[in-house]
Amino acid sequence: MSTFIKDFIERETISRRNFLLASAAGMTTAAMPGVFGNGMARAATDPALAWSYRDRASAYWNAIVSGGEAFTESIGKPKDAMTSLINEGSSEKSLADIKAFLAKNNGACAIACDANDSPNARPVAEAVQAAGGYVSTIWNKTDDAHPWDFGDNWVSHMTWSDEKPAEETARILFEAMGGKGGVVHLGGIAANNPAIERLNGLKNALKDYPDITLLDAQPADWDTTKAAELMASFLTKYGDQITGVHCANDNIAYGVLEALKAEGIEGMPIVAYDGNPEAVQMVMDGKLLATVFTNPHWGGGITLSLAYHAAIGSFKPSEEPHEHREFYGPTILVTAKDAAEFKAKYLDSVPTYDWADFWSPSNGGIVYK
Amino acid sequence: MATPFLPLIQGGAPLREDRVRQLMTRENAIRWAPLLVLIGLIILFTAINPAFLSQRNFARIAIAASPALMVAIGVTFIIVMGSIDLSMEGTVGLTAVLFCFVFLATGGTLAAGAWVAIPVILLVGALIGLVNGLVHVKLRIPSFMASLAIGFVGTGAAVLITGGDIVKIDDDTFRALLTWRIAGFPLMVYVVAAMTVLAWFIQSHTTLGRNFYAVGGGEELAHASGLNVRRVRIMGFVLAGVFYAVAGILQVAKLGQAESVSGANFMFISITSVVVGGVALWGGIGGIWNTVVGVLIVNVINNGMVVIGLPNYLQDGMLGLLVIVAVVLSTDRRSISFVK
Repeated sequence: MSTFIKDFIERETISRRNFLLASAAGMTTAAMPGVFGNGMARAATDPALAWSYRDRASAYWNAIVSGGEAFTESIGKPKDAMTSLINEGSSEKSLADIKAFLAKNNGACAIACDANDSPNARPVAEAVQAAGGYVSTIWNKTDDAHPWDFGDNWVSHMTWSDEKPAEETARILFEAMGGKGGVVHLGGIAANNPAIERLNGLKNALKDYPDITLLDAQPADWDTTKAAELMASFLTKYGDQITGVHCANDNIAYGVLEALKAEGIEGMPIVAYDGNPEAVQMVMDGKLLATVFTNPHWGGGITLSLAYHAAIGSFKPSEEPHEHREFYGPTILVTAKDAAEFKAKYLDSVPTYDWADFWSPSNGGIVYK
Repeated sequence: MATPFLPLIQGGAPLREDRVRQLMTRENAIRWAPLLVLIGLIILFTAINPAFLSQRNFARIAIAASPALMVAIGVTFIIVMGSIDLSMEGTVGLTAVLFCFVFLATGGTLAAGAWVAIPVILLVGALIGLVNGLVHVKLRIPSFMASLAIGFVGTGAAVLITGGDIVKIDDDTFRALLTWRIAGFPLMVYVVAAMTVLAWFIQSHTTLGRNFYAVGGGEELAHASGLNVRRVRIMGFVLAGVFYAVAGILQVAKLGQAESVSGANFMFISITSVVVGGVALWGGIGGIWNTVVGVLIVNVINNGMVVIGLPNYLQDGMLGLLVIVAVVLSTDRRSISFVK
């Protein structure tokens, strides 16, 4: 065996041993709070704050973070007292970051989190419970995992039901089409829950409009470029049969508009979803008929606030009714009629929210089908 | 080697039987395979839905293919050298975002002096390529890792500059690249055609272009012959960076906006196209025209699958399958002893 290979193996063996030792030390630390607190929730006077989310490359997550920071400042701390745990779309990283944060702060934590995918919510909640911390989640969790099964530690879960709002945008679209013609749907990543719900909303509305045909529905993966290319292909396939476009989010609508612009087609009825500033402007300009705002700023702030107030003992989650622990977030339909007013209220200046008013803006308890 | 698609019939001499046999060699079959695959696909899609074979649809495919072709040509220079460049997503994203910022800062319309943004961004692309090349050559990091890392830095910088927001450009003069049509094709298609001819010229008629093949065909030999291999490598990355910047600008022209993820998916599309077109990943084989055909194959497949109404859950699988078929047909695998 060459010396190089021998050296290499030796080096790898040593580093693996170091790694195992370090892991053992890490696990002991992580288990410590569990030893003393036995997994029971303890009130902390000054819990460490963190938001665990996907990335900073989208307007949506930036609004979530701005809400979290607004809450942090509202309790007299600087913005950077809230730690960003960025999972980059990896559930493993999401869980590992949260475990590291719990270990560092001996469990005295208030964490807000989107678990990245549904199955990851349970291990996150288990890790937080074992360390005696507090977590509030949004978007992703499986139907069989409930905050009330984790004592006080899994404070709450908020999600948004997209079916109803997507149905409303579809109705606005169909009215603009004069109740007849052909519609195409450009969807999100096919397996994503919001993508499924938004298409279902469209299908629900179709039942009341027998003269409108759903020509095609295909995923554009929430992506502007892909949407432009898909729309161009739809134009080849269906041509003038397309008299309306239902988009699963704003980014897709931008791509659709550009594909139509390339062909010199103007005035096509289009609806979108998400209520991003650019889309709201387009609604005001008459390029889009409607979009739906889910108020991510409020969602980002209130989720962290719930975890924080549970941690300092302002309320005891296990004494709250189920609809206070699993609930739908607010949705606001933005149309040409109210876009200017909406923009002034929510986008030009950020409203000041009462971060201790947890439930009144929400949309009721989560209903499982 | 440098001109893979020689004209089939040279001169006006009548074809004799031995000449026909000469043309029907294995080498020729492989050289022309990508083009035959492309023609086969067009016939297939047209047979299923005649709407596919229309000038308007070809214009749509051309628009979709334009930025992707610029990226693919950039990476072709690198792959011909036997290296790989994975920085395209970050570079395209960053140049697209910076282009919008410079464009808006210098007046917001081409007429008002915002044309300055174009040379500035080409220079930025060259600089990113230079850093990429220097990191790869001077620090002796494999091009795979060095370029991937630079790509991440590019995406990160774009996120930092935009704060995750979208930057829009509404100048009608600039958007004429998409909206102004000559013979049914938007202006950007002609820009891409001109850039492609330029790339072919660099490849076939300059010392640098031939040196790429020398390095890709046998680096030790090239080095022993007195070629400054490291310099050629760095120049290759600079050239690729410029083409990525062109793609960034065209991406803005196509969508009227830039964001940090404007370069998303270009890595898969460009590398796939280059390989499908018959450029060998081990270097020295293929060139610009292979890449052009490869990009067209991938875009024709993407468009055609929707036009013939293939269910969306089959589309990804079908794309993968067709890519394998195209590579099997278009690369001379007998000439290499092993594949890694």
